[in-house]
Amino acid sequence: MNPADATRQIYWNISHIWVMYLLLLPTVAIAGYGIYRQFARWRRGLPAARFDRPAKRVQLLVKHAFAQRRTARNRYAGLFHRLVTYGFIVLTIATTIVALDADFGTTIMRGNFYLYFQSFVVDIFGALVMVGIGMAATRRYLMRPKQLVYTNEATLILAVIFLMCLQGFLIEGWRIAATNDPWGAWSPFGNAVARGSLQLMSVEAIRGAHGGVWWSHVVLSFGFIAWVPYTKMMHVITAPLNIYTANLVPLGATLRSIDFEKAESFGVNSFEDFTWKDLLDLDACTECGRCTSVCPANIVGKELSPRDIILQLRDLMHEELRISDFGFRIDKPKDKIRYETSGSNSDKSAIRNPQSAIIAAVPATSPLSLWQCTTCAACMQACPVFIEQMPKIVDMRRHLVMEEADFPDSMQEAILSLERRGHPFSGTQSTRIDWTEGLNIRQVSETDDAEVLLWVGCGGALIERNQRVTRATAQLLEQAGVKFAIMGREEKCSGDPARRIGNEFLFETLAKENVANLNKHHVKKVVTACPHCFNTFKNEYPQYGGRFEVFHHSEYLADLVSEGRLKSHTGSDKKITFHDPCYLGRQNGVYDAPRELVQISTKESVVEMERSRKKSFCCGGGGGMSFVEEPPDKRVNQERAREVLESGADVLAVGCPFCMTMMEDGINARKGEREVKVMDVSELLWEAAQPRAAETFVTTPG
Amino acid sequence: MNILVCLKQILDPEIPARDFRVDTVKREADRGSASLVTNIFCENALETALQLRERTGSARITVLSYGPPSAEDSLRKALAMKADAAALVLNDGNQNPDPFTTARVLAAAIRKIGTFDLIMVGREAGDWGAGQTGGLIAEELGMPCVSFVDRIESNDGQLKLNRQTDTGWEVLEASPPIVVSVTNDEHNLPRIPKVRDVMMSYRQPLTNLSLDDLGIDAHEARAGNSYYQVAELSIPQKETHCEFVTGDTLDQKVGSLAQRIIEVTSAM
Ligand code: SF4
Ligand code: SF4
Repeated sequence: MNPADATRQIYWNISHIWVMYLLLLPTVAIAGYGIYRQFARWRRGLPAARFDRPAKRVQLLVKHAFAQRRTARNRYAGLFHRLVTYGFIVLTIATTIVALDADFGTTIMRGNFYLYFQSFVVDIFGALVMVGIGMAATRRYLMRPKQLVYTNEATLILAVIFLMCLQGFLIEGWRIAATNDPWGAWSPFGNAVARGSLQLMSVEAIRGAHGGVWWSHVVLSFGFIAWVPYTKMMHVITAPLNIYTANLVPLGATLRSIDFEKAESFGVNSFEDFTWKDLLDLDACTECGRCTSVCPANIVGKELSPRDIILQLRDLMHEELRISDFGFRIDKPKDKIRYETSGSNSDKSAIRNPQSAIIAAVPATSPLSLWQCTTCAACMQACPVFIEQMPKIVDMRRHLVMEEADFPDSMQEAILSLERRGHPFSGTQSTRIDWTEGLNIRQVSETDDAEVLLWVGCGGALIERNQRVTRATAQLLEQAGVKFAIMGREEKCSGDPARRIGNEFLFETLAKENVANLNKHHVKKVVTACPHCFNTFKNEYPQYGGRFEVFHHSEYLADLVSEGRLKSHTGSDKKITFHDPCYLGRQNGVYDAPRELVQISTKESVVEMERSRKKSFCCGGGGGMSFVEEPPDKRVNQERAREVLESGADVLAVGCPFCMTMMEDGINARKGEREVKVMDVSELLWEAAQPRAAETFVTTPG
Repeated sequence: MNILVCLKQILDPEIPARDFRVDTVKREADRGSASLVTNIFCENALETALQLRERTGSARITVLSYGPPSAEDSLRKALAMKADAAALVLNDGNQNPDPFTTARVLAAAIRKIGTFDLIMVGREAGDWGAGQTGGLIAEELGMPCVSFVDRIESNDGQLKLNRQTDTGWEVLEASPPIVVSVTNDEHNLPRIPKVRDVMMSYRQPLTNLSLDDLGIDAHEARAGNSYYQVAELSIPQKETHCEFVTGDTLDQKVGSLAQRIIEVTSAM
């Protein structure tokens, strides 16, 4: 017995092989039609450029389609999903080799390759697929996490895959038994089936059963292949495709601008308003629920569910964007029900084109839900297939704001104030320069040797608590000898709240105005304590001709510390935790600088909350939500405050004026439990940088 | 029904109090960094008109302003809110005309641009707060005037007006033509225009009129203050004094507190 000759006979027990080839025709036709239909549907979307930088895209594909890094963030699901994926890949390769040898006269299945790969590896991976399916079923039917979508389709998919593998082992085992395969031991599980069967059945019976199961395996597998494009299993195609065509910009740069001169409609309220990539997004969803399970609004019990937005829009799209089905349509289009619109001024609403409208056409896209999004982008960060949920929400908000003028009153007030006064805080009694009282701060118009512009932002200038933060930052810059200036009264809102609320027109106006003004003063470097301004400057202004080197104050201050221009004299032993602002951390990847500042302000090491860095949990204030009064039992900031209190920290460090307000409110609401002070990282550093005791801390104006 | 709504553009009354300055020599408010906005009561009037048009289904709304070139913004915004037509009488004279002058100019413009069944103004402007213009326009045009209206209904050409009084409401019936001054109410908060309409409003025609076009004494109108003059303008100084009432027992303290309140208020 020479291992070099090792192989097996293909179809040894099977006759009428032509029947299999005949069955292949409808299989390919049905699957092909299913795939064609989806591609045809996506092609009806508007253009989007998503094939640039192929090297980067291939890298993404390897990391996320093959290595499945995001799927693996959930350890258990990541494990079984990889078992099944890799098992499938191995089994597909093996089957392809069999087909090559059988139909194209190759002799790949020979010798060591046959023994090591075709027998041993394939056998092991087949078993791993079954283990994976078992784990998936355990999760789905015993652990029952809330994030999953429980459908019969999902059950059937698990059952069919399990059955196919089982058939595979029976076929293999019975072949080994009936042919008395000398190499049988190389397929440990198949061999076990062979041994077992020989105990129970005659060789004749095994032969007969083998033929039956072989044909049923063909039918089941072909049936499965034909069915895949009509199920969520289509993600074996759409997921890699969607990952390859993912948006390569930072999460903070994913909102697209509108060409107001040309656009026929502003925002999205029909599938025709979406790009092909948005439509592909809908079909790429694997129903995993990761997005909804991290959505702050959903976690505190609100209606918003990014997963349901994607899935319900997908179903609606299949309903409405009909592709020729050669007369095979059985189901009738459903009557449209409009869903709950409270939270907006529903009675004023007259959706422009009700026939193809998508807003409020399914429960998930009710304005009530759309107005709950904080644009934190946790959903996008969690999605294993890089679906962009948040920009779609903003797209629909744009329609409500710009085409219907139908949005929550408190947001209207903020927008009105932005239009009139260039800041969103209607009724504020502060001016842009109140915080400078008693300090010697120069304005850009009075100086031409400033190395950096301190962009204060509306929050930093007009909210009293944050004026102290701005003072601390300015004083630190001064102490480090940085030549800086401010825009003073010339400053206007960066436009972030307008954009996230959905008034793109106002955003564009503000952006152009600010950029022109900054360029007029030859501003090159900008430092700001507001992550929203930071994000807008960094990711959105370049489009309007504003190219600046932008720093969050934590980055700039951390640099000054590392250059030795600022020193910490702290003797404090406070336990401090840091709350990552969504627009600094998740959306722009700045995690370390603020932590460095926290670290040098205390002798204790930085306390981390359960949800931090990438996984951090929103304060509830983004996306215009800080202007909205949330129901008392469903407040995002209180959920975060709970986590702060549980972390054991004495001080909560923040790096955003909105986080400051939201977290102070959240912690105040739980005051009875434990005292926790909320401080900006610059305040901590300012305190620590004073050689004298903390009493000299000058933060209040005057 | 033909409706005309008068609009006045004013300095944003919502600027922080600390930012508010007056020019004591020129005797007018200093613009400073304040933006220009449409007077809120004028917007209430426009909103009331828009709602009346929605209810009747067939009214035409014209907006009219007497002001500097910047007042065009207020008119454009009104067009964005879906007024049908707009006209601006350019004020190239005294920027703070008294209500008599304003009313005379507006009345002349109204006579020039059409015949109206209903002329609406805001109850007063958020800058000077004179509250005279509505009545004076009525006088100029020889029409009746109803003030402090917050809701209007139309029934076969008859108007039913809700008028706010110190103690409640009066409901009046009136036959057009008539002038009404509108006050605010929870029902007439001005609507937010759709962005699409804001953009469209800049493409709509706008009638420009000069004082010389109107057949009035343009010279006198340019002077603008034929009937009264501002003698002095200043921001009231706020002073606070703190005083502790004395007394050994709570009763005594309450007693002396009450005593002080009586003394202080009777001296006012
Ligand atoms: S952006 Fe944040 S709040 Fe909005 S749907 Fe996604 S996870 Fe939820
Ligand atoms: S959108 Fe992404 S994260 Fe959400 S359920 Fe679908 S695949 Fe999962």
